[in-house]
Parts: sequence; C-alpha cells; structure tokens
Amino acid sequence: MSDAATPADGPAGDGPAGDGPAGPEALLPDLLSTCTPALATAGKLAAAAGRAVRHMVVKDGRVDGAAMERHQFAAHGYAWMAAYVEALRQMLAWAGRLEAAGDLGELESLILQAAFGEYLAQIAGGIALSQGEVVRPHDMGVDDAELHAFWTPAVATLTARGNTIAVRMAIAGLLADGRFGAPGLDDESLEMVREQFRRVAEEQVAPHAQDWHRKDALIPLEVIERLAGLGVFGLMVPEAFGGLGMGRIAMCVVTEELSRAYLGVGSLATRSEIAAELIRLSGTSPQKARWLPRIASGEVLPTAVFTEPDTGSDLGRLKTRAVKDGAVYRVTGNKTWITHAARADLMILLARTDPGRPDYKGLSLFLAEKPRGGDGDPFPAPGMTGSAIKVLGYRGMKEYEIAFDGFEVAADGLLGGVEGQGFKQLMATFETSRIQTAARAVGVAQNALELGLAYARERIQFAKPIYSFPRVAGKLAWMAVETMIARQLTYFAAREKDGGRRCDIEAGTAKLLAARVAWANADNALQVHGGNGYAEEYAISRVLLDARVLNIFEGTAEIQAQVIARGLIERGG
Amino acid sequence: MKVLVPVKRVIDANVKIRIKADNAGVETTNVKMSMNPFDEVAVEEAIRLREAGTAQEVIAVSLGVARCQETIRTALAMGADRGILVETDVELEPLAVAKLLQAVVEKEKPDLVIMGKQAIDGDCNQTGQMLAALLGWAQGTFISKLAIGQGTAEVTREIDGGLEMLSLKMPAVVTVDLRLNEPRYASLPNIMKARKKPLERLLPEELGVDVAPRLVTLKVEEPPKRQAGVKVANVAELVDKLRNEAKVI
Repeated sequence: MSDAATPADGPAGDGPAGDGPAGPEALLPDLLSTCTPALATAGKLAAAAGRAVRHMVVKDGRVDGAAMERHQFAAHGYAWMAAYVEALRQMLAWAGRLEAAGDLGELESLILQAAFGEYLAQIAGGIALSQGEVVRPHDMGVDDAELHAFWTPAVATLTARGNTIAVRMAIAGLLADGRFGAPGLDDESLEMVREQFRRVAEEQVAPHAQDWHRKDALIPLEVIERLAGLGVFGLMVPEAFGGLGMGRIAMCVVTEELSRAYLGVGSLATRSEIAAELIRLSGTSPQKARWLPRIASGEVLPTAVFTEPDTGSDLGRLKTRAVKDGAVYRVTGNKTWITHAARADLMILLARTDPGRPDYKGLSLFLAEKPRGGDGDPFPAPGMTGSAIKVLGYRGMKEYEIAFDGFEVAADGLLGGVEGQGFKQLMATFETSRIQTAARAVGVAQNALELGLAYARERIQFAKPIYSFPRVAGKLAWMAVETMIARQLTYFAAREKDGGRRCDIEAGTAKLLAARVAWANADNALQVHGGNGYAEEYAISRVLLDARVLNIFEGTAEIQAQVIARGLIERGG
Repeated sequence: MKVLVPVKRVIDANVKIRIKADNAGVETTNVKMSMNPFDEVAVEEAIRLREAGTAQEVIAVSLGVARCQETIRTALAMGADRGILVETDVELEPLAVAKLLQAVVEKEKPDLVIMGKQAIDGDCNQTGQMLAALLGWAQGTFISKLAIGQGTAEVTREIDGGLEMLSLKMPAVVTVDLRLNEPRYASLPNIMKARKKPLERLLPEELGVDVAPRLVTLKVEEPPKRQAGVKVANVAELVDKLRNEAKVI
C-alpha cells in the first residue's frame, strides 16, 4: 500500500480522533511554484489542440459550418480542454490572492493541489464530456511530440502526487470542521451579503424546500416578498431606476446561497435579471422608466417566453408571429418551457415580426403585460391558454406550455421600438444569464456536498461513521475541490463582465463546468446516502433531480461547448 | 435618546472549535467569525427603539483587532447609525472591556447601553454587570422584554423562579437574552448603505484605559472525550463497579 489511507487513519465522524489531518505529508512542498509552470504547459497543450482543430474547421479564414459539424467531437473536446486550463488558471489566481492576504491555509492548498493533479491527468488522459464520452488529445489532432512535451517535471509531480487518496483524506479531515475553503472574494461587503443570504436561505427556505418540491407547489408569495424586501430583484438594476446597481459578483453570491437551499428560490431572480438587463440595454426611455423600478422592487415578476415546441437551441427558426394591427401586435403561436409563466406579470416575448425573413433577423422582442394567474386559472387573459408541464425537478415556479391565438401586445411594448432587433438584443444578455446559471449550479453543488457530508458523518455502519471509509470521504473531498473550481470560474466570468469585458467564452465555460460539477456532486452525494438517498424524504433525492436541469437549460452542455469552441477558434484566429 | 450597543466578534456558532497545537488558546486562523448572537439581539432591540421613535441614534461599538470593524459593519447594515472601533491586539478581559466601554460611554453619553448577556466564546457573563458598577448606573440583566417609560426602562428578567419585572432609572445598562427578539436580516440596500456610515477608530491609550490582562492563561485543552457507558446486570455488579472501578463509594 503506497499512499492509500486505511479507514482507521481516516477522518472520524464527529470525534477528534481522526481529525488530525494527514496534511503535511500529503501537501507538496513549493506547491505554487510547481503549479505555475504546470499551468503554462497545460496552456501549450490546449494551444496545440486549438491549432489542430482550427486546421480541421477553418476554411479561407472562416469557421466552416459543415467542417465544424463533422469535427464536432474534436471541437467540443477542445472547448473542454480550454475550460480545464482556464479552471486551473483561476484556481492558481485564487490561491495567489489568498496567499497575498495571508489566508492560504492548508485546506485551500490541498484543494489547489488536488485540482491540478486531477485536471492535468484528465487533460492528458481523457476528459469526460459526458458520462459516455471521453475525449483524448489525439481526438483533437494533438500529435505525439506535443503530448510528450506535456510531461514536464512539474506536470509529472502534480499528476502523480497531486490528487492521491491521501490528499483527499486530508481534505476530508478538514471538511469535517464545516469548512469548504475560503471563497477568496476579499471584500467585506460581499462576505456580509453571503452571510445574510446564507441565514435567510437556511432559516426561510431550506426547511421547506423538500415539501414544496414533493407537493409540486409554487414557492409561497411571502418568500418572494421577503426576498424582494431584501433587494434581491433590484440587485443589478441601476440606482437611477430604483435598483442597487451592484455587480455580478454580488449577484453570484446571492444566487449561490439561495440555490444552496433550493434551486427554485435561487432561480427566482433569473427572469428579473434577464428582463431588467434587456430593458436596460435595449429599451426606450419610457420602457425603462415604466418597468425597471417595478422589476427592481419585485412588484412585477417577469418571465422569458422564447422557446417553442420545435425550436430550442435553434432560436433563429422560431415560428410565433406578431402582426401589427393599429395600436397592438397580435401574437399567434405556441411556446413551451416557460418558467413561472402563470404568476408572471410581464412576458419578454420573442416573436417573428417579419415573415419575409425566416432567420433570426425577422425576430423582435416584446414587453407583453399579462394578468397574474394561479394554479386554478393559470392564464386568465384573452388569446392565451396554457398548462403546466410535469417535470422531474426544478420545481417551485413550474414550467408551462402556452398557446397564443391573437393575444394582444400594446405596440409600445416592442422592445427598443424597432422591429427585427430581437435576436441581437437577446444575445446581449446571454453572458449574464449564463453567469447567473453557473452560480446556481455552484449553489446546488455545494448543497449536495454538504448533504452528503452530513449523512456520511452520521451514518454508522460496521461500527463507525461511513465517513471513515476512503471511498466515501474521498468522494466528498473531490466534490469540495470541484465545487471550488466551479465557484472560481464563475467569479472570474462575473469579474470580467463587471469589468466591461466580453466574456461569452468565460461565462459559457463557467456554466458548462459548474453544471457538470453540480450533477456529479448530486449523483455522488446520493450514492453516499445509499438506499436512503433514493427515498423522497431525503433532500438529496430532490437535489439530484434539480441538478439534472443545469446541464440542459440556458444552453445545453453540447451547445455550450459549441459556442465556446467557435468563440475560441474565432478569437484565436 | 441615544443607545450604545457593544458588539463582539466571535468564532461563528457553527464552527467546530479547535485548540491550538501548543495549547495556548483556540485556533482562529482562517476560522469564520461572526457577531456574537446575543449582541445581534441587542442591535435589533436598539434599532427597534429607533424605528419606534423612542431612540434617535444607535451607536455600535466593538473592541479588539482591526477586523472587528466587520462586526461593526454588520451592525450598521442591520440599521445602527454609526460605529466606534477601539482597536487593540491585546486579548481583552471582561474588566478591560467594561473599562473601555465606560470611557466610550463617558464620551458619547448614551441614555441606554443594550448588550448581550454574554459572548459565546468566553461565556463570562460579566461585562454588563461590571460596566453598570463602574458607571454607577442601574442594571437589568438577562432581559426578555424591554419598554421605555418616562426616564425609566421597564424590563422583564428571566430568573430561576420565573420572570422578574424591574423598573430601572435611566441611564441604565441592560443585558439581553435570546428570547428578547428575532434579529433581522440585513438587506442588500442596507449593506450598501453601511459602507458609507461613519466608523470612528480609537485606541485604548486615547481613552486612558489600561487594558493589560490581569489573568494568565496557563493552558487550553479539549474537554475529555466521553467514553461509552456499560450496562450492568444487577445491583451487586453496580456497587462493585462504583466501589472498585469508579472508586466513588
């Protein structure tokens, strides 16, 4: 047995017996100065993959659609490899910030080390795009010499010793204190925001989440009102319009903490944020003055009405028509997957105003008012019918399919007052909505980790907490590592966006990775629960169902990889 | 009416306490710190008095290391008007805290000091009483209800035998129990506003207070681990174990 810890060495459930961290031996000396060159090496391999993929898909200086499709696996693999490299870059930057502040403790160092050890090994050995698809450097056209050059001493050290079971056991020993690593935001107000929303979520949301889920109930209005009172819906709305003008990092922190209690509650503000950003960026002055203050206060709950039964990721082809008729547009068509639709007061509706243009250029966005409905009568409006879709998880707001038949939207509801801008307007908000979704995934991932940890420490089998078994403790340790990776990628994207920089790739990367981490954590935490995890009364059963949606909505994992790959190829070339 | 609320920065209630390797004290490096929960109740009560128009100003004061300002900011985000930090790296004992607070009280001249009945770290339950004695003020400890009368504070105290109602002549010091109220959450707008509220820094020397410790900590240890019990078959075995193993009879 080389480095495999035995259960006896492992972290004890609640006594201090096994708490003595195996840390000092597990922790590599000169960690930061080993990670720095290893990161540069990983960057070179990703660049080699990028060159090879570009060679496959770029024709005459442009990305060739047919070639991109033919080489989809290689291109998406490249997106993932780049995501891994970015993840390591952000982890190293995080550790550097902590070190500068004197906060780089043993736990944080071990997390950094495990992240490098595992991700470097996967970059060379194969990255799981999904559970059934592993992409390897050769799939992206990386040649043997380039792959050989990857194995520098630093990379070899980290892959061999970075993420051993001894390292994970050391991490597990520290998790037992209820610590998961410093988030490294280095901002007193943000820490206060986190603390307040953690309390709100733990006291007002977490105790009820399972019940709401099992009853398939709408989140009570009192909860929404309480969050509104705390400023959640106006967080990013400019102060001039009654909001707080805070940045996306604050949005991430609030979202993460609320999602840690219940994904449904962490998602309440998603639609308000999309609507407010659309109106702020593209609305006319009267539209801003009319809607932004009411969205910020939570008085108006918006919903996004984009998807159609035959049009999901391929939005450009959507069919719903809006026809101008005097002072109104008459809307006809079918929409689906409309979240919180019954309760919403305002629809952000994407429809085709120019039937002569069958592509995205014929689309327009509308700010369409509707009366608030409820469970009995979801859509009490003329020209509009619909019903709830039964879903596995992500409940609390409900999903609806809606049919419009001559539904009237006031003509001054045309966003920005000009037709044909809908798709472009919508694209401008994708970065923020993906960052917000990544933050939701981080919250769900953290929730799964904590549920698994609590269960593992309480559950006694073979006369000891199952947390003393390396396969159990090691799973939880790796969950903590990857949750931190997802968190740092999310903060990075948020910082870029707040800094006014283009961050389509960064936001997509954060969302892509965080969604996978949330699902992996939920699945593994349920495994830790054994049979009990399969029982509806245990919260992890819900978290598993909630986590599953994260890889699907706001751009499926496949679309996300496509967007990242295309972006990387275009930016780099 | 002016209300002064002392707030203490303590290890968060949810954190598992660890003893330093050299047994010199409790590990606080990289440990989550929060406002003492009793002090949150005190802040809440003071803010309610101001919201009711009974008090005009609420001042939060903390004593200790520079990072205690985070605790003051939390009080400001809950609604306190301004803060005072008496900054020192010396580990403060209750008497030193009471003397520093006395100096702050003499400077600020509040009508009422509302404070936690104890802090969850040291569990001393001394400071409020000492402060009242040093000031020569009336005191009401462990209160679960507070009403302000004409120059009086009407308090309900939780005592062993039940509830005791006292009328305190103001100025007074009251120390609060958890049952007094439920502290609010700081809203995002108030967290933003708190950044701009005034926070004054003082040093113990400026207040003329000697904060040198009177006590020496010899050693800090974990409580002994509880051993699993055993079942005895009969009284004879029990008596035998008590006599020969436990040696208590």
